[in-house]
Amino acid sequence: MPVQPSTTSHSQLLADVRRGMIPAHIYNDAELFSLERERVFGRSWMFLAHESEVPQPGDYVVRRVLDDSFIVARDEGGTVRAMFNMCLHRGMQVCRAELGNASHFRCPYHGWSYRNDGRLTGLPFHREAYGGEDGFRRSQQTLLPAPALDSYNGLIFLSLDPNAPPLREYLGDFAFYLDFYTKQSPAGIELSGPQRWRIKANWKIGAENFAGDSYHTPQTHTSVVEIGLFREPKASKRKEGALYWAQRGGGTTYKLPPGTFRERLRYVGYPDVMIERMRTSWSEAQRRMIAEDGFMISAASVFPNLSLVHNWPKVAAGSDDEVLPFVSLRQWQPINADETEVLSWFAVDAAAPEEFKKLSYKAYLMCFGSTGMFEQDDVENWVSITSTAAGAMARRLLLNNRMGLLHDNKPVTPPLAHFAGPGTAYVGYGEYNQRAMLALWADCLEHPLAQAARTELGAP
Amino acid sequence: MASTRRPGTAVAFSDERHLQAHQFLVDEAYLLDGQDYPTWLSLLTEDIRYLMPVRVTTARGAGFDTAPGMAHFDEDKYSLGRRVARFATEHAWTEDPPSRLRHYVTNVRCFATQEPDELVVESAVLLFRSRGDVRESALVSAGREDLLRRDPTGAAESAGHWMLARRTVAVDESVLRMQNLAIFL
Repeated sequence: MPVQPSTTSHSQLLADVRRGMIPAHIYNDAELFSLERERVFGRSWMFLAHESEVPQPGDYVVRRVLDDSFIVARDEGGTVRAMFNMCLHRGMQVCRAELGNASHFRCPYHGWSYRNDGRLTGLPFHREAYGGEDGFRRSQQTLLPAPALDSYNGLIFLSLDPNAPPLREYLGDFAFYLDFYTKQSPAGIELSGPQRWRIKANWKIGAENFAGDSYHTPQTHTSVVEIGLFREPKASKRKEGALYWAQRGGGTTYKLPPGTFRERLRYVGYPDVMIERMRTSWSEAQRRMIAEDGFMISAASVFPNLSLVHNWPKVAAGSDDEVLPFVSLRQWQPINADETEVLSWFAVDAAAPEEFKKLSYKAYLMCFGSTGMFEQDDVENWVSITSTAAGAMARRLLLNNRMGLLHDNKPVTPPLAHFAGPGTAYVGYGEYNQRAMLALWADCLEHPLAQAARTELGAP
Repeated sequence: MASTRRPGTAVAFSDERHLQAHQFLVDEAYLLDGQDYPTWLSLLTEDIRYLMPVRVTTARGAGFDTAPGMAHFDEDKYSLGRRVARFATEHAWTEDPPSRLRHYVTNVRCFATQEPDELVVESAVLLFRSRGDVRESALVSAGREDLLRRDPTGAAESAGHWMLARRTVAVDESVLRMQNLAIFL
């Protein structure tokens, strides 16, 4: 039974969120989480895997979308599919590993077996038990395919809604920014990982933070500046960056010192050989965002639960100018209203020099992921918020999510008139993007989903 | 499944080297519980490699059980030094207030190598971590394979002047149930 929300209380909640006031309990509310499960995660596109994680025929990874397990496998012909990891017969998981290479998946229960393209090929005692094709049609049976599967720059997304719009349409103008992270050369990125760990925090907090919280950097991450790991998060630097929002996602940037396209990419640590590939891989507008506007992408989120980060720490003792950039993708996989599994990958341009890949990986480990010195302090905050949001008092407190807006809803500073990227961008601190994320969330919660079609297995 | 075969020759429990290695690990556990990281760092060689791969679930016979190219920790002296320096600032919020830590170290065994001043030491470690008053505590269980090397200068203030030159931590969970690894194993 889907949860039937009390219409009045939820319409009030959604109205509050839309005017930039957050009822604090949304960060730990079991009833709302049931509604999110149905209406946010039941219809959105969610990141599943990257094609580089299954490079060879037979390679597979097993990934979840909330409680649903999917096998993401490359078949012998090279096609990548996502198949619901449940035997058609009695519902056993047909694959219980997290990754590997297999031509077939055989159910341990009764021995039904499936090719790595999902087709049912083995059905013990088909003739004796079922009377052959007359009793159970084996041909044409496959593990249930993902209701919708699509990819962009090799990033494979899944939607539980068979009527989801094409992924590119869903991402909208955010795709422009996604290219900075995932298309630094025509070769695209390769992913390593993920590191996986569970945090007692609501999934929305990380997604909102990465979408636009440049305001927390100087406070939360003071320590990494103090130890000389990162030169940028100082308050004066952070507020010079632009915050942009473009349809289904948005993010933060840093303002770079004056220079050309090449000089600015050198400043964050890219070698010339990579910069030349970026020049050919990115559009003229994408290049202008760096060369003319001087903004370098940092953290970002795609609604609902995929985030990205690009930073450039010092990876070895030496001068402050010797920084090395890295890219990480992370998913905030909801477990419950108060628990999230973080999946954090290291991503790097597949064409990058080996030495760069090695140092970039090191930069990632020092900053983000299960041991990352930025991430450690972030998670401490988010766990604390979630714990405090559980009680009665959190239902009486509306948190202010209006930074950057005056009482009459006019912006504190006008949006940038000249910004090479699509969407709307502002310089300075503001909760524009957190509001945009929660507005999408409210839109999802407001609209019930049509019941999905059912598959009857071998019914007469 | 981890191989149980080891290089080198098993060292008897009564051997002085075993006793020193055992003492090294127990003394180290007290340093880590007390978060005396500067002293801990002084027991690591300049060429320390501190590695904690990401464990993954694979089919029996797959031939691997760690994520290719990914670790939780893959550290050298510089990166460990930055982590220790961070804890010494007043702004490492994740450990302020500090966790209560207890490293339980057991199953210690040693193997002699061809280098007389090096010793391979295996151990099991269970870390209990408690933060604050309302949160559930967390555990990490792991096996460790260490390379201890005798400090040629004799300056290391440890049993037998041993120093840690290499550590590989085989964590027993593929998904950690701990909010972060702002600790060492």
